[in-house]
Parts: sequence; C-alpha cells; structure tokens
Amino acid sequence: MTQNWFQHTFRRQRFQPQNQAAALAVLGIMIALILGTLYLSQVASFAITNREIESLIDQRDELERTNEQLIAEIASFRTVPRLLARAQEIGFRQATNADIEYLVVEGYNPNRTLTIVDINNTDDEAEVVPVYDETFSGWLEQQFSILRDQFEEFGK
Amino acid sequence: MQGLSPQQVTIQARLPFVIIFLVSMAGFLLIQLANFQFYPREVAQELELRGDASANSIRRIPAERGLIYDRDGEALAFNALQYGVGISPNLVSEPRRLATELALILEKDEFELYQTMTSDESWVLIARPISAEQGQAIADLDEISITIEPIPRRFYPQGSLAGHIIGFVIDDGTKGTMGVEGAYNASLVGRVLDQTVSNIPFDLPEEAPTEQRGQDIVLTIDRDIQFWVESELFLAINETGATRGTVIVMDPKNGDILAMASYPDFDPNNFIDVEDPDLLRNPAISDTYEPGSVMKVITVASALEKGTISPDWVYNDQGRLELGGIVIENWDKNAYGVVDVAQILIRSLNIGAASIALEMGTDDFYSMMRSFGAGQLTGVDLFAEQTGILKVPGDSDWSESDLGTNSFGQGVSVTPLQMTTMFAAIANDGIMRQPRIVKQIVTEDGIQEAQPTTIRRVISAETANIVTDMMVRTVNEGIPQAILPGYTIAGKTGTAEIPTAIGYEDDSIVTFAGFLPADDPEVVIFVKLDRPDGYWGSQVAAPVFKRLADRLVILLEIPVDDVRRSLSNTEPAPNIVNG
Repeated sequence: MTQNWFQHTFRRQRFQPQNQAAALAVLGIMIALILGTLYLSQVASFAITNREIESLIDQRDELERTNEQLIAEIASFRTVPRLLARAQEIGFRQATNADIEYLVVEGYNPNRTLTIVDINNTDDEAEVVPVYDETFSGWLEQQFSILRDQFEEFGK
Repeated sequence: MQGLSPQQVTIQARLPFVIIFLVSMAGFLLIQLANFQFYPREVAQELELRGDASANSIRRIPAERGLIYDRDGEALAFNALQYGVGISPNLVSEPRRLATELALILEKDEFELYQTMTSDESWVLIARPISAEQGQAIADLDEISITIEPIPRRFYPQGSLAGHIIGFVIDDGTKGTMGVEGAYNASLVGRVLDQTVSNIPFDLPEEAPTEQRGQDIVLTIDRDIQFWVESELFLAINETGATRGTVIVMDPKNGDILAMASYPDFDPNNFIDVEDPDLLRNPAISDTYEPGSVMKVITVASALEKGTISPDWVYNDQGRLELGGIVIENWDKNAYGVVDVAQILIRSLNIGAASIALEMGTDDFYSMMRSFGAGQLTGVDLFAEQTGILKVPGDSDWSESDLGTNSFGQGVSVTPLQMTTMFAAIANDGIMRQPRIVKQIVTEDGIQEAQPTTIRRVISAETANIVTDMMVRTVNEGIPQAILPGYTIAGKTGTAEIPTAIGYEDDSIVTFAGFLPADDPEVVIFVKLDRPDGYWGSQVAAPVFKRLADRLVILLEIPVDDVRRSLSNTEPAPNIVNG
C-alpha cells in the first residue's frame, strides 16, 4: 500500500503538454501582471499624493513665516515713538491742556450709568407663533367636510 | 522494492528522515509561536516598545503661547518663529555649491560649512536660531539634505516698553519668568503635545490637535500712558541725575494699574544681554525702601480712624523728642510750637508724626500699619512681589524708638506698589482695592473678566475725606511744584534717607504720592527717584508728578474741576442700551 502511493507520487511521467495547462499558466501570469500593475499604480498615486501634501505643508509653513513677518512689521509700525514721529511728519503736534476746550451740553452727562437691557428677556409678551399641527388625514377630513357642505348647500 | 531504480530506492530510504525533520521543525516553530503568547509582561512590553520604536517616532508639538495685549488691544507680546537648520552630510551631492550658498545666507564661514558637509556624521546642526527670512531663503534652496526645524520665539513689539511688567520667556519660549509671563505662565503656556508619527513613508501624518493653544491675556496697562510715564521717568532721571526711579499710575476705584515704569529697564527681546540680573526684577514690587515722610499721611489717617486724635488736635513742637534712647528732630531741626494735624503734613514735621504715634500706642499704631498693608503682599498678580519689612513689638529687632521713626517712614520698608496702594485706599474713600495687572483672560470658551477685589476697608469714608482735605492743603500750601492749574491735587512728598550697615547715606530717595481730582479721584500717581542731585522730594519728585498729571488728564480725559463739576451736576439723560 505504502509502495503504491509512493510509486504513484514519484512515478516518472512523460511530459505531455496540454492546452488547458498552458492557458491556466498564461492566465496566472496575466492576473499576476494585473495585480502588480494595480499595486504599483496605487503606490505611485499614494506617493504622488504624499508629495503634494508635503508641498502644501511647505506652502503653509511659508505662509506662516510670511504672516509672522508681517505681524512683526505691523507691530513695529504701531509703536508709540513711530506713531508720534509720523504724526509730526504730517503736521500734528502734541495737545496741551490749554488746547482742550470742554463743552458742557445741557442735559447730557458723559458719566451717566448705562442700563443694559437684555433683548432676549424683555417683559413684553412674546408674539405667539402658531403651532403647525396639520396632518394628511386631517387635510382629507377637511376637504371631505368642505365637499359635503357644498353638496348640502346645493341640496338646499 | 522490485521495479524501482536505485535513485528511487535511495529517495525512499531517506524520505522518512526528511519528513520527520520537517515535521519536527514545524512543531518547534508552532511551540515557539505559542510560547510568544505567554511571555512575561515585562518582556512583552519591551518587545512592543521595540516594535513601536522602529515603526513610529515621537514628535513634540510646541503649544502656541497666548498673546498679551494692553487694555486697548495693542499687542505687547506675541509669537514669532525662528529656525534651526541641520544637514545630513551623506545626502549632500554638491557640498561645494551648497556650502557657498549656505555661507551667503547664514553669514558663516564657507570652509567650515564645507567641512561639516563632508564629515562622517549622519546629521549635524549648522545654525540655530536663524531668522524667518534666513529660514525662508534656505527652504527655497529645496535641498533634500537640509532639515529646517521651526523654533517658537516670543516677540515683544514695543521693545523695552513695560518690560518689567511683561517679563520674558526662557527655554525656547516655553517657560515664562518674571512679570505677567511668569505669573500667568500656566494660562499662557498651553499644552505641549507629543505626537506619535509613523516612520512608514506611506503613512499620512495625523492632523495636529488644535485645542492646545495658550490663553490670551489683556492687561490693565494702557500702552500710551505707559509710554508717557516711561518717557517722563527717563527725562526726570536725566534731569535730576538720579540713579534709579519708579513711577506707578493706578486707578484707585478698581485697583487697575494703568502704568508701572522703572529705570533702568530692559528690552525683553534681548533680556539675555542684560549683564546685571537684578535689572530683570521689577523694582516697583520687588525692591523695598524706607518711604520717609509720605508715611506721615498713613500715620495721621490711622490716628484719626482710631479716634486717638481729631482734626482739631494740636501739640507743642519743641524741636526735639526723646524716644527709646534716640532724639527725633524735624527735617529743618526747627521747633514749630503749637501746631495742628494739618500742619504736620504741610510742614512735614517728624516730631508731630512721632507724637501722634506715641498717643496711639503700639497696638493701635501697628494694627493700623498692618491694615494699610505694610509688611504684607498686596497680592498683585505679578511675579516676585516682596512684602517689605515692618518690625512690630515682640520682634527681636524692634525697639521703642521704632514707634517714633516708623511714624515718619524710617525703620520701615515698603515697595513702591505698597505705598501706591495705601494712597489709593485713601483716594477710594478708605476702601483698599487689590492692585491688579490683568483685566481679562481670553479662553476658547469666552472672556473671563477679572473683577476688582477689595482687600478691606482700612479707614472710614469720613476719615478718608478729612485726610484728603489735609493732603490738598499740603500741596496748595507746601508743594507748589505739584500744583496743576484747574485741578485739585492731594499729595505728599517723601524724602527718605538710605540706610546702610552703619547708619544712613548722604543721598536720599525722594518720592511724591498723590491723586487727582481730589474730590473724585480717578488716578493715583506715585513717583520715586533714587539719589537725585537735589535732596528733597518737593524739589525733585513733585515736578515730575506735575508733568505726569498734566499729560494724564489729557490721556484719561479728565476735565478741569469746574467743567467736571458742572458735568456731574447735569441731570443724567435716560440711556438704555440693548445688550
């Protein structure tokens, strides 16, 4: 018995090429090629996307750097000594107390206490918003009722 | 075996061994595989870590530090980026060209850079920190061998303006120290995050979390007032030859510090260049001094509050008062005869102040000194505030003479802010507000408004009004240098000797503390100059106060008294604002 399966397994067979086997082999190679191509294209697309993302990150970093520089530049333009110098250049001069004239407007107090009223919590009665409670069956009943009334009117 | 070739016989003979070997190996592998599942926890964790370490790396994401603004929203501190540049020599294809280009950008020696690029190291840091412009220029080279690492940097656009208040940051901008940067570091710093980044090239980086940013802080400081105060202080230092100086401007009603300037100052952008580290401390809260005669106001207010004296109280000034083994004299060594309380302030009489303290006794006097905040922190929200020194009976270094000398500001030391807070309490009808520097904290959830905090009522409103009237008389009758036409000013000078180990220096510390308008104070101004050419506070500090007051009434829109009173008499018009 042992010899039978062993001999069967290792029996030297004559090479008999068959069309079916060749077709299967070609099919296998084709599938492998397709899978390989798909894999490579996927990897390439992934790499390209990553490259684009990196490029966008670089752009973002560059914009951040530019933004930081602009903020610093704006801040330096807004310092008091610079504003004073600029004001003097365009003809302003520092006001003294003698230059200031206060006008008292009758009935107006600049130091009045402001009363803050919450507009979301007024005492006025809020406008009642009608509740939408119409249903399809209700609408049908209403139409039927109108029709019936019309018939009754017609009957009279 | 019949019918088999010799080769087949050999195979047949050997095959069982091969099968046994393969089965044994498969069994061994299966056992090892099973064994992996039952390793001790420590070994399993170690193996997991090794696996993670090869597949992932940790990237530290620095939190963006919160910004600091003045009360009008002007930026006082914000963040900028600097860069660190490194290079991987094994990836450099043209070291000569790259060295030339980098040398131009970094202003470094070309040969040194070339040597770095041709070294055997896997990665070398070549410059850190460099500016944003340099970083951009290097990034534009588009060299794969160069790595540019952003480094957060704190930037103070106003330069040295309010440097003592703002403080500065160390450790690559991650740790605030001194000033608001130090006191509010926990709010400003945000959360530094460690992000796990995959080393696998095709893994996309995870989105960096955004909720880690620090909170923004809005100060009570008014940048414009701060600028004028610093300018006037600098001018005063130059004019008087003083070595140091401090000016504080405070709103007595809520304790808001509108300006706090000290000289010498420093630029927080370049704090590292400051040679004397003591200059980095804020003298307004960290340096103590003997206040001198301004303390007489506190002594008088205390005695009036305790009922020890009344406004009509008089004493006989004989020019000398022996107390605890020392002789107290007036500043001009004169005797003034019978004088009242107001004259003690107007003529700044040491003997009068000491007499009042003696009348009060140690218990009442020192309890009131404590109540006014001597020897205690004001609680201002700044880094490194000092308490000052107030010796009290029972202390080993207290003597009876201290009761007398303390009453006119000797033998007791305070910070400029403590003295300002004491005067602010008198200006605010006797209610002492805690001085504060932060007005708002801006969080992601909204704005937290810092509410004014009352420390305590120190004296009654009646006592405060009586003392204020005396201080107005003091200015009008004794310190014409501080008078500002159109405004009533309450104030008092101080000329303090500077103590040494063996006595007192020849130089003095001069101060003027006052507020205006006296009947409805909107601002308290404290001026202190150390070792000026002139000796007396009225000569040196009072004119500085006047110049500051002259500018502040414009900046704070305080009309002259006549106009202000006519405005306040006007009936308020109804005014409702929808909120």
